[in-house]
Amino acid sequence: MGAYRADDDYDYLFKVVLIGDSGVGKSNLLSRFTRNEFSLESKSTIGVEFATRSIRVDDKVVKAQIWDTAGQERYRAITSAYYRGAVGALLVYDVTRHVTFENVERWLKELRDHTDSNIVIMLVGNKADLRHLRAVQTDDATSFAEKEHTYFMETSALESLNVENAFTEVLTQIYHIVSRKALESGDDPAALPKGQTINVDDVSAVKKGGCCS
Amino acid sequence: MKSNNSHSTEEDLKQETSPTNSPLTTLDSRFNQTLRSVQGLLKGRSFPGKVLITRRSDPPDGTVLGSPGVNRSPSEIDRSPSKHMDDPDEDKIHRNKPNTSTTVNKLKPSMSNPEDKSKEAPRFVMGARATDTARLMKFTKVLGGTTVILDKLRELAWSGVPPYLRPNVWRLLLGYAPPNSDRREGVLRRKRIEYFDCVAQYYDISDIERTDEEINMLRQIAVDCPRTVPDVTFFQQAEVQKSLERILYTWAIRHPASGYVQGINDLATPFLVVFLSEHLEGSVDNWSVADLDPEKISNVEADCYWCLSKLLDGMQDHYTFAQPGIQRLVFKLKELVRRIDEPVAKHMDEHGLEFLQFAFRWFNCLLIREIPFHLVTRLWDTYLAEGDALPDFLVYIFASFLLTWSDKLLKLDFQEMVMFLQHLPTNNWSHQELEMVLSRAFMWHTMFDSCPNHLAT
Repeated sequence: MGAYRADDDYDYLFKVVLIGDSGVGKSNLLSRFTRNEFSLESKSTIGVEFATRSIRVDDKVVKAQIWDTAGQERYRAITSAYYRGAVGALLVYDVTRHVTFENVERWLKELRDHTDSNIVIMLVGNKADLRHLRAVQTDDATSFAEKEHTYFMETSALESLNVENAFTEVLTQIYHIVSRKALESGDDPAALPKGQTINVDDVSAVKKGGCCS
Repeated sequence: MKSNNSHSTEEDLKQETSPTNSPLTTLDSRFNQTLRSVQGLLKGRSFPGKVLITRRSDPPDGTVLGSPGVNRSPSEIDRSPSKHMDDPDEDKIHRNKPNTSTTVNKLKPSMSNPEDKSKEAPRFVMGARATDTARLMKFTKVLGGTTVILDKLRELAWSGVPPYLRPNVWRLLLGYAPPNSDRREGVLRRKRIEYFDCVAQYYDISDIERTDEEINMLRQIAVDCPRTVPDVTFFQQAEVQKSLERILYTWAIRHPASGYVQGINDLATPFLVVFLSEHLEGSVDNWSVADLDPEKISNVEADCYWCLSKLLDGMQDHYTFAQPGIQRLVFKLKELVRRIDEPVAKHMDEHGLEFLQFAFRWFNCLLIREIPFHLVTRLWDTYLAEGDALPDFLVYIFASFLLTWSDKLLKLDFQEMVMFLQHLPTNNWSHQELEMVLSRAFMWHTMFDSCPNHLAT
């Protein structure tokens, strides 16, 4: 992708992808985070969609450029092209449909095949508001996240539960990796060129652990 | 930039742009106005072979929507049941093309004998009512014969089909109903039974009899049916969703090379609405399927299935692995836009905007997601009239659609463009805007398709 013009003021631009099975609520997580909107009438995502939001981390403005992808397998050839350059990912399943949790492993592989090994991954169990329909236990997801060294949170886009936290956590972790990398190499993080997607290549020894809500 | 395009000479274009000497002046006036709007849009933009359309002083802005030629009184616009009969503009533009451009014949393979049609053209002048009747009579005549001449029907249908004729016209255009009226009932009866048999064989079975892949596919379809055109409440009715599920699953099982692909659910909806309109009255918003005789619903469902199949037969590789058909058309769209409107193409390119990022959905769902649902059936009249030529013509329609906002696009940066193009402001569109998109698509097709080097395949 070419150069982006800085339309607003930000210190870092991070590319984040939303992946997971069809119908788990990826698009609503995105609209909740970027526009504080939720729609029960949303249509399936075809190909990819896109939205942005800036947040503040420490004294820096971090802008997230979030690509929301179609969940159906057929679209993976198209959507995986958008993984390139992503430094963060929210891998979403639906806590009321166990099969969407079973597929997380495949999504993880997909992600690791197409992105840098230091990508920050957050496993997200969405639709946590549907308590009576729960089919995936929090403990199972927690241990899976620990095993795979990903972060984990349960969210409800409908109730606006943890959505902010999930995205903020991912962005903050990316920010830490980037600033640590900059420190290690002796650079001032603030001196990184504006408006460029930060790559987390060769950031070594970044310890990730489960971070359950 | 190519410079050896002998077809699209400046002379040709001038001929198109200055037909004021023609005896058919009144007739041509609306066409000319459309042309002027298009010129406004194209003003100052370069064409392959350095062909420039005569510059006008009209500002490009607003001419698309505000052209006097396509202004209609509010009562004629929109959901009025007579809207299509009140819409002769497009028809004229279409019919008069052969008079104004010598290249049309070979460019529109799906149209037959445009010269014959031009003889009839002078009857359109008398205002909306007269035109209504004239158009209706043409349809009645074409449909009334023992054998429907499909090329004639295509030509008429291209400009919009009167709603009450639409079910029959669509079945004919898609080759589902045979042109021979004696055979028609029998063939339809047989095809409907064949569909019911398929449903019994593939859909009405237990999951134990399905493969894992089939279960996955059914699950995917079940996830998508409730979110198919969710903004039109009619589609939320349980019976409608069940019908949709059966249609999609049966189609997917019988087309294993692609299987069900998200977005195909959208493509079934115009058929459902049109075939149900034979049995339900008033606005779609007030329809209730519960009032319908189950046999009628079944027949509608069968017709939808076959028509969806026929439509998709023409674009099989749009939905196979990696969707090469769509990728190819997206590439062609990019090329075409570059030739029509270089500043916009350059702007998009400079900002790193890829056509795949917005146009993929356009091709995948044939623009259903991008315009208000009440305009979709009119758009599909043109699609179905194009027949086998549809995939290529889509490129022109979509270029025309995109460049509706060419001025706006120039002011946006990458992320603004992506977001704008994913949520285009078409909510308040009426037929007027859609007709303009189609007219322009037709013109560009005429201009650019005459130059074989324009679109490398």
